[in-house]
Amino acid sequence: MTARRVRNAAFWSACSLAFLCVAAPTLSMLISVFHQAVPALGWSLLFKRTNSIGIQNAILGTLLLLLGVLILAGGVGVAAGVYLAEFATGRHERFLRFFSEILAGMPSIVIGYIGYITLVVQFHWGFSLAAAVISLSILVLPYVVKTTEVALRQVPTFLREASAGLGLSSTTTVWRILLPPALPGIVSGLIVALAISTGELAPLLFTAGFSDQNPSLALVHHQLPYLTNVIFTDLSLPGARARATSAAAGAVTLVLLIILIAVGRLVSRGARRATARMTI
Amino acid sequence: MSITTEARPEPSAPPRPARRRLPGIGADRSVRSVLLVAAIIPTAALAFLIYQMVKTAWPAVIFNGVGFFTTKTFTIGNLYATGTEVHHGYTAAKGASYGILPLVFGTVVSSFIAVILAVPVSVGGAILLAERIPVRLQGVLGTFLELLAGIPSVVFGLWGIYTFGPLLSRTLYKWIAALHIPWFTGPTGAGEGMLTASLVLAVMIVPIIASTTRELVRSVPAISKEGALALGLTSSETVRIVTIPYVRTGVVAASILGLARALGETIAVLIISGNFLNAYPHSIFDPFSTMASTIAAFLDSALTDSTGMAVHSLAEVGLVLLAITLVANLAGRMLSRRFSGAGLPVGRGV
Amino acid sequence: MNRLVAIPFILCATTLAACGSSSKTTSSNTSSTTAASTNTTAVTLTTGNPSAAVTINEDGSSLLYPFLQELVSPLTAQYSNITLAPAPGGSGKGIADAIAGTVQMGGSDAYLNSGQLSANPGLMNIPIAVSAQSVYYNLPGVTNLKLTGDILAQIYQGKITKWNDAAIAAVNPGVTLPTTTVVPVRRIDGSGDTFIFTSFLSATNTAWQNGPAFGTSVTWPGVSNELTANGNPGMVQTCKATPGCVAYIGVSAGAAAQAAGLGQSMLQNKSGQFVQANSATITAAVSAGSSNVPPDLAQPLIYEPGAQAYPIVNFEYLVVKATQANASTAEAIRTFLAWAISTSGGSTPQYLAKENFVALPTSVLPAVNAAIAKITP
Repeated sequence: MTARRVRNAAFWSACSLAFLCVAAPTLSMLISVFHQAVPALGWSLLFKRTNSIGIQNAILGTLLLLLGVLILAGGVGVAAGVYLAEFATGRHERFLRFFSEILAGMPSIVIGYIGYITLVVQFHWGFSLAAAVISLSILVLPYVVKTTEVALRQVPTFLREASAGLGLSSTTTVWRILLPPALPGIVSGLIVALAISTGELAPLLFTAGFSDQNPSLALVHHQLPYLTNVIFTDLSLPGARARATSAAAGAVTLVLLIILIAVGRLVSRGARRATARMTI
Repeated sequence: MSITTEARPEPSAPPRPARRRLPGIGADRSVRSVLLVAAIIPTAALAFLIYQMVKTAWPAVIFNGVGFFTTKTFTIGNLYATGTEVHHGYTAAKGASYGILPLVFGTVVSSFIAVILAVPVSVGGAILLAERIPVRLQGVLGTFLELLAGIPSVVFGLWGIYTFGPLLSRTLYKWIAALHIPWFTGPTGAGEGMLTASLVLAVMIVPIIASTTRELVRSVPAISKEGALALGLTSSETVRIVTIPYVRTGVVAASILGLARALGETIAVLIISGNFLNAYPHSIFDPFSTMASTIAAFLDSALTDSTGMAVHSLAEVGLVLLAITLVANLAGRMLSRRFSGAGLPVGRGV
Repeated sequence: MNRLVAIPFILCATTLAACGSSSKTTSSNTSSTTAASTNTTAVTLTTGNPSAAVTINEDGSSLLYPFLQELVSPLTAQYSNITLAPAPGGSGKGIADAIAGTVQMGGSDAYLNSGQLSANPGLMNIPIAVSAQSVYYNLPGVTNLKLTGDILAQIYQGKITKWNDAAIAAVNPGVTLPTTTVVPVRRIDGSGDTFIFTSFLSATNTAWQNGPAFGTSVTWPGVSNELTANGNPGMVQTCKATPGCVAYIGVSAGAAAQAAGLGQSMLQNKSGQFVQANSATITAAVSAGSSNVPPDLAQPLIYEPGAQAYPIVNFEYLVVKATQANASTAEAIRTFLAWAISTSGGSTPQYLAKENFVALPTSVLPAVNAAIAKITP
């Protein structure tokens, strides 16, 4: 009997150790990033650019990138998800969904590489906002499509039946009846897409370039600054100042991430209340 | 909010006329076409990527031939030498020789080590989180997983090279090297190398496996667990006998997805691996290279090769990486699809 | 009869046409002072403040980068419509981006090779300064270590693994060398520093010349504890953290290397003397090497003869396309380049000395100005 109890205790200690192995690196990373960022913290961070000691241009560039991804991947992804959930049937539905899932497995470096060869060089766009947004959107598109589809499938069928019974067109059904309850799920998918975009570097290295100036809204021919590049250049620039700026960029990225996670939590909490209201 | 508490409209007011007409059935067709176009875009993007990759890699495929999979060296050649090499009609710089074997070795070994290390940690941590941690704390502790999933890979890389690697090389690596097991012994360096990279990759893929496991463990029917406990099994035995078989396939599927993620990881590996080409690492502490990190590290140099063969060869590397990742992803997804119908058919509230 | 009259006409016309096209003197812009200084001779360039604001994007050599950073403010102070935007990234990136057109100028310590020149007609490498490279080591307590190219080649081939090796001891009589393992550090990015270092190794060690040879990116022999770094600052950081390391670092990062406690070695030159990199030894090398610079300006300055000549010296190049997008950009680039090489503009001791660079020798200036003049819309 005690042997089993000892094994029980050993098992749960092992699990606690495993959990610590997850928590400790996370804490270590967060602490070291924020600790190293301290020398560079200050209002100048937000108001100066990377040719001085600030990261204003990088912050604006990342926000611009997120907006672009939201519009492009969000628009196309939600539309695709709606189609797959509501309108596609039979073989071509499975076909489209299958390939969308394969796209999710593309290594980001491959997307960046092709983005460089085609958009930057062949199309002569140069390092640009358009090349960066398109590359990132292709990367996150499958996530948006999948979550939209799943969210729509969870909307109870009786709503579709009732809508058909009332003679409403498919467009109205989707837009007025199905999307509202599915919205929280769709929004959390968009948040995942934005979180991935905030932290990506490999595809942007070859499509966005970098710039010490604030980003222009020009789609092509203007290089785009962004936060993860500032973090990366810590390796090749001298001095404590560069180190602190890079850590500060890391801190801002993590703060953005925390904001996105918090918004996601709020949205899913609202979703739970909404679905509770749904069941009749 | 229930229906009874909502205010009822005044019964005597006449119905308001509709302010605008709802889109009719005719608009449906155009909306549907637009949505169809959107749904085709992922497939089109995939086709475009594969097509461009094959097209860019094709000259290298011909030039390198089968040697690509048997040669050890990956070199652009001497760009300043006179003359060029020509094989099968394609030109490259003198002395250029492109072989992918050490890169495949580095990619596959580091990813497998990462998965082998990540699975027990993720499963153990997820089971703890789902079974033992009180519900109040679950939100807070679950945040660790979400944060870990979102931290940029460049932060992982820098943490690996400045904090984690040096710490390990001063402690754990010295102990392991002292044991003099072949391939686990040798100069431990300052923390750059295969073991550090594998450990960092493991930390990166833990969230993928752990969050899936946590969901699966939560969905194990309570009735089975309660039955086991009623029969006198300890909680760990319940986990072993009831929970694990239930979640096993799902965990395997998630691990394969984690493997696919590790195979394609570029930036963290670029920073920690030491970028060692043209030879196999002699020990687990030696620097190495992966396919993804080589593409990222060498693209700029490759572009200075005016014959273009370096760029084509990097594309060929990317093609092989693509193929390996695709196979891993397909396997993972097929497994998870097979799993998703395999739960015990217990209804709600029973 | 008509034909006889026509001949002198035709002769005159062709002579006039030839005269017209060979003259490069055109009206100079008077909106601000021109950059023509006392040491530009046969060729007069059209330079001046362009009418529209132009940003010249540059990236590439991390050896050249600090110098360009210094020039940003004085350039805009002199020519208000020209802004220089430099970035590091390695000479390989500089050349690649200049070829692709993603930047207007690519910084490179390496000149273009014949393949790049023939694939991109109109691409030029224009030197703007002379720099050098030192070999630093991390051995606390050992100062002024003497090394030769042959020893370094053997280190980077893994043939010499300990600091107290007989070959190193032979050139350092009387110095107690520690038993520390030698840890060579090399650049991972496509690097002009790698180019000049490997040129030096090729010039001094036949096995190296027949093997890896030289280039911005070479097939480094597999040495088991070799480390890699990104950029000159990365080399400094990596070497600082590794006792026993040896690293090749450009002179513009010299101050950082000294501050990090790394020792600067003395290298043996072609005449057998051991010299350190300073303006006297660099000037001796470039004087010896620039007597017959080819018109395409691709001239190595490695292992030049001379008792005082430092062996690893190079021209700092900016890779530029002759044909630019528009007249303002072309004018801005010409103006910047002419200003940068003039001793009253960018090549003053104030800017050069901080990076341990030396100004271009006067003998190459005509060819340089001829190249600059080719930059047109």
